[in-house]
Amino acid sequence: MSLPTIVHLDADAFFVSCELALKPELRGTRCAVGGRERGIISSASYEARACGVYTPMPTARALKVCPDLIMLPHTSGLYGKVSGQMFDLCETLTPFVQRNSIDEGYLDLGPCGFTTVTEIEARVRQLQQRLWADLQVPVSFGLATNKLVSQIASKLRKPRGFVTVPPGTEAAFLAPLPVGKLPGVGPKTEAALEGEGIAFVRDLLARSDRELKSLFGAGWEEMRASAEGRDDRPVDTSDEDAKSYSQQETFGRDIGDFAEIERIAKRMVDELLAKIREDKKRVRTLTVKVRYPDFTQESHGRSLETATDLEAPFYSLVAPLLRVAWKQRRPLRLVSVRFSSVEEPPAQLEMFAQTEEKRRRLAGVLDQLNSRGRDAVVQHGHQLGTQKAQKNAEEAEG
Amino acid sequence: MKFKINRDHFANGLAQVLNVVGSKATMPILSNVLIEAEKDQISLTTTNLDLGIRCKIKAEVKETGSVTLPVKRLATIVRELPNVDVTFDASPNHQVKLASGGSNFRIMGIGKEEFPPLPEFGDEKAYSLEQTELAGMLKSVSYAQSTDETRYILNGVYFNFKDDKLSLVATDGRRLALVGKEMEVPAASAGAIILPAKTVGELLRLLDKGEKVKINFNDRRAAFQIATDKDSSGLIDSVYLYSKVVEGNYPNYQQVVPKETHQRIKLERELFLQCIHRAALVCSEKSNSVKIKLTSNLLEITAQSPDFGEAHESMAISYSGPDLQVAFNPAFVMDPLRALTKDEVFFELKDEVSPGVFKTLENFICVIMPVRLS
Repeated sequence: MSLPTIVHLDADAFFVSCELALKPELRGTRCAVGGRERGIISSASYEARACGVYTPMPTARALKVCPDLIMLPHTSGLYGKVSGQMFDLCETLTPFVQRNSIDEGYLDLGPCGFTTVTEIEARVRQLQQRLWADLQVPVSFGLATNKLVSQIASKLRKPRGFVTVPPGTEAAFLAPLPVGKLPGVGPKTEAALEGEGIAFVRDLLARSDRELKSLFGAGWEEMRASAEGRDDRPVDTSDEDAKSYSQQETFGRDIGDFAEIERIAKRMVDELLAKIREDKKRVRTLTVKVRYPDFTQESHGRSLETATDLEAPFYSLVAPLLRVAWKQRRPLRLVSVRFSSVEEPPAQLEMFAQTEEKRRRLAGVLDQLNSRGRDAVVQHGHQLGTQKAQKNAEEAEG
Repeated sequence: MKFKINRDHFANGLAQVLNVVGSKATMPILSNVLIEAEKDQISLTTTNLDLGIRCKIKAEVKETGSVTLPVKRLATIVRELPNVDVTFDASPNHQVKLASGGSNFRIMGIGKEEFPPLPEFGDEKAYSLEQTELAGMLKSVSYAQSTDETRYILNGVYFNFKDDKLSLVATDGRRLALVGKEMEVPAASAGAIILPAKTVGELLRLLDKGEKVKINFNDRRAAFQIATDKDSSGLIDSVYLYSKVVEGNYPNYQQVVPKETHQRIKLERELFLQCIHRAALVCSEKSNSVKIKLTSNLLEITAQSPDFGEAHESMAISYSGPDLQVAFNPAFVMDPLRALTKDEVFFELKDEVSPGVFKTLENFICVIMPVRLS
C-alpha cells in the first residue's frame, strides 16, 4: 500500500522568524529583514506581507507601501546556524533528509516503517511542534507520495501549513490549482498560458498531447506528468557542495568611479577566495555583475585555463570584465562577484609550482590572521590606494 | 622528366617522407611529394612548413626534371605495382605516366613552382652524433613530453649543448626526464633548442639508417642529416630533416631535480615494472594511482578502485631506512622503466609529498611528482 511518505518542509518567513526568536517583542509587527535605505527586502513578516511588502523588493519602496515597517539588519551567521539546527531536528525523524536550501528541504519517511497515514501525520506534526518549541521557527509541511506534490502542498497554506495529499488523489489535488503552481511555469509562461485559455491545472489536462506539444515543445511530456502529479525523483541526501561562491554590495550612494568599483570587486575576490580555500576547493570562472539605479543589470564572466584557489590569477580579469559589463556611462548601485566551476584540488602534484606554493602558504597565513576579526587585519595593496585617497578627502573636508 | 626505378626502393623512399603533409584546406600542394630527378638519383621531399623531409633514392634517370604528386595515394599505388621495374614519365603539363608490368597509371600532378622549398642551412652551430646513441637518448626522455597544447613550450624535447655536455630534457610539469652525454661543446657552438614533439617522432623513426647524424641549428630552426649507409633498400646519401623549433624559454629544469638523496633503493627493472603493471590493472580513470610502501627489506605496491577491487604486490629489496609510503600515477613509474635498457635502476624517495627519482649510472634522471594520498 502506498503512503504519503515524501515530506516537504518550508520554513515560514525564515530570516524574520530567526530574528523574532531573538526579539520576541516584535512578534505580530510589520517587520522585515533586509538592507537599509538602498537595499532589498530578503524576508518579510506575514503582517508586513499583508501590507504589500514582498521579496525581493527595494527597501525604499517597501517603506513607501508600509511606512511603519520595522527594518531588521541581517545578522551574519544566524540563519545558517538555525537552518542547521532545523535540519538536525528533522534527522531525528528520518536519516533521509535533503537540505535543498537554507529554509526548505525534503524528508523521505519511506524506510521508517510507518504503516498508516495517521501515524505519519502524527509524527510529522510532532516535528512541526518541536521546531516551534525548540527554535521558535514556524514551518509548513506538505505530505504526499512524491516530491513535486509535497512541495506544492507545503506552500499551499502558509504559515504553519500542514497539507496531506492522500495517495491516488494527486491529480485531483492539483487540478483546481492555478497553473503557475507547477514547477517550470513562471509568471511569463503563466500569463501566456492564460492567453491560451489555460488558467488552472485542469485546463492543461483537458488538452490533447498534440496541443501540449505545440504549447511546450520538447518538454510537453514532462509538463503533462507534472500536471498529473507524477514525479519519481528520489530524495537526495548526498551532501551537496557549493556550486558557486558569490558576494554583492549595494552602495550607500551610487558610484561612478571605475577605480573605486574595481577596488570593491577585488576586495570581494579576496574575501571569497578565503572562503574557497577554507572549503578546500578551487574555482575557474569569475563573473562580475553590475546594477544601475533603475535595477537594470548586466553581467560578464570569463574562465581561467585551470582552476585555482589563489586571488592573483583573477585580478587581471576584474577590470576587463567590469568594462564589458558596465557599458552604460552611468553610476552603479550594486556590484557583485561570483565564482563558479568549482572543482576539487587535483591529487596529482605539480612540478613547476613553487611560486604558486609560496603564494598558497602566504594566503594560508593571511587567512589565519584575518579570521580572527571581522575586518581584514592584513590586506592586499590594491585596497590601500583608495583608502588613502578617502582619508585625504576626509582631511580636506575637515 | 623520365626515370626507371626499382619499385621497392621507390616505395621505401616514399615511406620515409609520407608522414609529413600539411592540411589540405590551406595549401593543397602540401599533400604532395616533390619528385626531382637528376643524374643517378631522384629526391623526394615533403613539408608541412613547420617540418620537412627529403630523401634520395638511386634511379636510372633518362631525362632530368621535377613534378609533385599526392604522396599518400602515390605511395599506395607504388606499393601495389605488379612488377619490380617501374618507369616514371612526367610530361611538361605535369601529367605522370607510371608503368609497371601490365599496369599503367596516369596521375595529375602540380608543377614544382608552387612547392615551398626546404630552407638549406649554412654555417649554424653543428654537431655530429652516433645515430644509435641519439635514438637511445631520445627514447629515454621523449615519453615525458607534454601533449597539453596550452603548455606548448613543453610540447617537445629540449636539447641543451652546454659545458661540454649534451642534455636532453622532456617534461609535462608532473614528471621530468633528463639524459646527458659528455661531448665537446665549443663556446661558440653552445646553445639550446626545443625540438617539437612531431619532429622528435619523425627523428626516432629515421634514426637507424646509418652511423652518423649531423645536427645544425640556430634560434629558430634545426636540421638533421641522417646518414643512410646501413640502408639496403635504395636510399643514398642522407635523409635531410628540417624543423622549426618551439620558440620560448624552457623552464629551469635544474631546480626540480632534487639535490639530496634521501632513501635510495636498487631495483630489478623488469621485475618492478611487472609488479607496477599488474597492480595498475585495478586502477580506474578516477583512482589512477599506485601506492608504494617501503619497510625493512620490503617494497609493497597497492592499488585500488572503489568500484572494482584492489591489488597487492610485494618485492624483497635491500632497505633499512624509515618506513615510508608515497603514491604515483602508474604510467609515470612505468614509462621510464620501459624506456630504459639496463637491468638495474635506482629509485630515490623521501616522503609522500616529495618527488620520486629514477636514476641509472648513465647520466639518466627521471623525476616524478606524487599523487596526494587520500
